[in-house]
Amino acid sequence: MAAPGSTSPGGGSHRTKRRRLFQGDERAAYLFLLPAALGLALFRVYPMLEAVGGSLYGQVFSASGPHTLFVGLGNITALLGNAVFWHSLWVTLELNLVLNPMQVVLALALALMVQGRSRAMAAYRVLLLVPIGVSLPVATILWRLMLDPNSGFVNALLAFVGLPPQPFYTSASQALWSIMLIANWKGVSYWMVFVLAGLQGVPGQLLEAAAIDGATAVQRFWHVTLPLLRRPLAFVLVADTVINFVMFVPMYLLTRGGPSGATNVLMYQAYKVGFAFGDMGGALAIVSVLLAVILVVVALQLRLLEPGRESW
Amino acid sequence: MTVAGRWLGRLGLGVLYAAVALFFVVPLWWALVGSMTPLNAVFAHLSPFDLHALWPGQPTLRAYGQLFRQHDFARVLLNTAFVALATVAAGLVVNGMAGFAFAVMRFRGKRVLFVIALVSAMVPAEALAIPLFELVGQLGLLDSYAALIAPAVSNGMAIFLFRQFFAEIPVDLAEAARLDGAGWGTIFLRLYLPLSLPATIAAGLLLFVFQWESFLWPLIAVHSQRYTVIQIALANLQQQHGTEWTQIFAASTLAAMVPLLLLLPLQRFYVQGLVRSGVKG
Repeated sequence: MAAPGSTSPGGGSHRTKRRRLFQGDERAAYLFLLPAALGLALFRVYPMLEAVGGSLYGQVFSASGPHTLFVGLGNITALLGNAVFWHSLWVTLELNLVLNPMQVVLALALALMVQGRSRAMAAYRVLLLVPIGVSLPVATILWRLMLDPNSGFVNALLAFVGLPPQPFYTSASQALWSIMLIANWKGVSYWMVFVLAGLQGVPGQLLEAAAIDGATAVQRFWHVTLPLLRRPLAFVLVADTVINFVMFVPMYLLTRGGPSGATNVLMYQAYKVGFAFGDMGGALAIVSVLLAVILVVVALQLRLLEPGRESW
Repeated sequence: MTVAGRWLGRLGLGVLYAAVALFFVVPLWWALVGSMTPLNAVFAHLSPFDLHALWPGQPTLRAYGQLFRQHDFARVLLNTAFVALATVAAGLVVNGMAGFAFAVMRFRGKRVLFVIALVSAMVPAEALAIPLFELVGQLGLLDSYAALIAPAVSNGMAIFLFRQFFAEIPVDLAEAARLDGAGWGTIFLRLYLPLSLPATIAAGLLLFVFQWESFLWPLIAVHSQRYTVIQIALANLQQQHGTEWTQIFAASTLAAMVPLLLLLPLQRFYVQGLVRSGVKG
């Protein structure tokens, strides 16, 4: 790019010259960083500390009104002795253990379906991007009407092909599955984008060579494509897990954590404890548990993204 | 394989592609059609099901009129647009500057600061909403535009996106300008930003969509009607007893239309931005 002569000849002198040139620029660098760093420190890092710190306090009601009291690990030990918390933790794990692998597989399948280079395929891909522009609240509300047990679209379709109507989110056995359906509708094409980018990095010659050597399409996929997709697939699984671990909107708008606790995930439980029961310390204790899990997963992801670990 | 078998395979594939497309498109299409259909007609075509459920007979804008007259949706849309655009404007400057420093400048603590920015990009906003509520309450900012805008301006993902883009511009360019006595502000504004329109568009979309689709934070941070944003207005509408389905359809259509009208023509930039800030570490 640079015109000949614009860089100094000889690597060594270039180095020292550059160092001299950029000297005293540290202050400028910090000034450039300051606004963003302030924002992140205040609105991202501090709340993480606040979650842990705030979980050490509790509300006590006396004749003179509510008081905030230091309770130490009281909120945490209360959580550990609370059956609702354990059930909520179980629902959260259940959701994630089923949904996250499902989304990775569906994203991969979708990416394989639409990877062609033709114009028609490009148009088809745009169609699939529609849910990215639809917020999760809108998606939830639309699917609430789609899945309405009495007058919804899906039961009308089922009746049309002669199948019995389903209760969907109104039954304890189908509620979590209904939420997974919504999450897939909203999320799978988003995750597909990353897999598709990975697919584009698979060298065509490699696949051709394998084909010449007599590998079938299935063998080429398992032995050439899939190993090269490890990194994007791992990224999708990890990023997806972090987001699904704190899923809140469908539980709030569709099931209110029910029926009978079937969809009462930790994030919804935390919201309920804090804003319906007014026990902020208890809510922050749950948030601390969630943050601990998330930070472990994020640490994993950082290792994954570390440069020089391409062959992970 | 026989000719018949091959045709059967093609047919099966065609059905699969059509089914997938319908799955992704039908809910929004149904809402769009339903929002322009008289209320009784919405249900009439569902039991028994006929295709008029997906095509409006006599289109009417009655439901939209009701939203604007009875539910103050003009205010709601303006609020959301203001919050989103203010976040985009401030966010592009703040995150662009940080991305520039990380990509081009040298300073101590770069690695540590960058990891902090990365981690903050990966922790979802929902996880921090409740402790953030405590903090913003202590700052006395609850129930204001500031409560909605300020926490979203610094965005680790936008920083990362800018950094990735700036890092690809040859540093010789900055060095040459430095030799000519240009200040860092000039280099950033005159040299790097004009070369980075794709990154700016991608980061702008990212920030806009984040704010337009935000739900849990406005749900707890704001309670006055005058600050209601679109996702909350939609939820309120749905929770009011006896709200007509056509109105929910209309509100959903409005809520989805704005990001879609931005994303579809600019999807190339958005997708590239996602990929850059995602997999390509």
